[in-house]
Amino acid sequence: MGTLIVWPIVRAILDTLIVTGPEGTRVSLASYRFFFNDGYSLGNLRITAWTTAVSVAILMTIALPISIYLRFATGRVAAVVQALAIFPLFVPSIILAYAFIRVLGPNGMVDIILNSAGLPRIRSPYLTVWGPVIGFVWDNMPLSVVILMAGLSNVTNHAVEAARDVGAGRIAVLVHIILPRIWPSILVATSFVVLGLFSAFTFPYLLGPAAPEMMGPFMLRTFGDVMDPVQARTQAVVTFAICAVFGWFYVRSIARNRARAAA
Amino acid sequence: MRVAARLRPDWIGLVLAVTLAVAIIGPMLVVGLWAFAEVWRYPSLLPTEWGLRYWGMTLGRADVWTALATSLQLSFVVTLASAVICLPAAYAFARLDFPGRNLFFLSFLSIQAFPRFGLLITIATIFLSLGLVGTFWGVAIIQLVNTLMFMIWIPTAAFQGVDRRLEEAARDVGAGPVRVFWSVTLPQALPAIVAAIMLTFVGTFYETEGAWLIGAPHVRTMPILMISFINNQLVIQLGAVLSVLLWVPSFVFLLAARRYLGPQGLGRGLGG
Repeated sequence: MGTLIVWPIVRAILDTLIVTGPEGTRVSLASYRFFFNDGYSLGNLRITAWTTAVSVAILMTIALPISIYLRFATGRVAAVVQALAIFPLFVPSIILAYAFIRVLGPNGMVDIILNSAGLPRIRSPYLTVWGPVIGFVWDNMPLSVVILMAGLSNVTNHAVEAARDVGAGRIAVLVHIILPRIWPSILVATSFVVLGLFSAFTFPYLLGPAAPEMMGPFMLRTFGDVMDPVQARTQAVVTFAICAVFGWFYVRSIARNRARAAA
Repeated sequence: MRVAARLRPDWIGLVLAVTLAVAIIGPMLVVGLWAFAEVWRYPSLLPTEWGLRYWGMTLGRADVWTALATSLQLSFVVTLASAVICLPAAYAFARLDFPGRNLFFLSFLSIQAFPRFGLLITIATIFLSLGLVGTFWGVAIIQLVNTLMFMIWIPTAAFQGVDRRLEEAARDVGAGPVRVFWSVTLPQALPAIVAAIMLTFVGTFYETEGAWLIGAPHVRTMPILMISFINNQLVIQLGAVLSVLLWVPSFVFLLAARRYLGPQGLGRGLGG
């Protein structure tokens, strides 16, 4: 496992820093300097960051109410909502990408329905920056809901009822009782999504614009088509650095859960 | 007051259920319609001619069968290798106290701290010098990396969850360590292990990035064939038929796996 994972990372970091030229081997930041002075590379990094921020914001806005509802609701409707919210977990992203094009693409189902209702067409999000965003939100919703629900199991009915008894309204319960307890889970879900989006390939490649492109397709093209492994590695190390905080946080919370489970 | 709250219809739930059904089941239904549509032109709300013509067309293509064979081979090889590597490791993590155990576990966990595609790129550049790019085994190794998380994580939790008192009871009546493992420990951990194996198999079957990065253009798996169908837009129905064909078995598989795990267990495993 060490050779499979750690060695390539170490090699990538070293090889992008050490340059062997005619005057011998020396440490050089040239490949990173190229990346951060190259408008195209920076544009790709920017679009990845933008997509990530927008996707996380939308996801949390959708997943938080659903998971809070599921935590407190009982009965058949709640079971249906849970099944629906988990469903995208069972749909491979490649099939989702195809479905997206058939629904939101030109002359897709949305266009058909709008047309038959006599409404004007929408501008299709297919091949725009919104294409991958919609795909990610759809795809990542189940795990976000699941992670938030695991966090919400720390909120006891007792605490909510006690707050209700002293006259707290829904909003007050949310802000003072629920949010403080699930804040760690929100951060974990966010980290999970950030790590996923910085390595996303299928959605940006199939649903997003050709340029600027997200880091996933960019790295793949740099490696495969441009055949520049040094720049591809540089781009990979840049994504490592940007995701380091989220990665650290994500791993720390898994380790903590594990310690708690073992105790 | 409690009774009144229970009798009131669950309006929030109904709104959520309808919205989610439209947004989540809707797109899948559209794909289903396309798979059985022979003619469906723009302004009409539903296909005007139905039939199975495109099923015959899809199943008659040699590239579909080649890709299916490649994908199945990869999934079998990767799942087998992953199980052979990870299951003993999971047992060791759960039960044995060996030197460097925590360090080892931490190094395994730290894989999760890296955006995966970047990792694949760094591995791919090393494969370049090893001549593994464009080969079946190169793809298999890179897909193996993807499976390590689930294959260690779920079984470790399962082995930890085995009731030790049962094992001790078996030992008390004279069962040897192998017998205890085989008759007591393994049956209790088995559902979760089976679930992990199923998830690994399905996950590998649909793995796209690694296969594309290492395999293209020589190794063509099913998802890569799908991508080319989508990009070339030859015949819309091809992609739809393929989607239905591939999605149904994987859905059944995953549903079975989920019964063993439950959403809460999954959430905990993911660090929630």
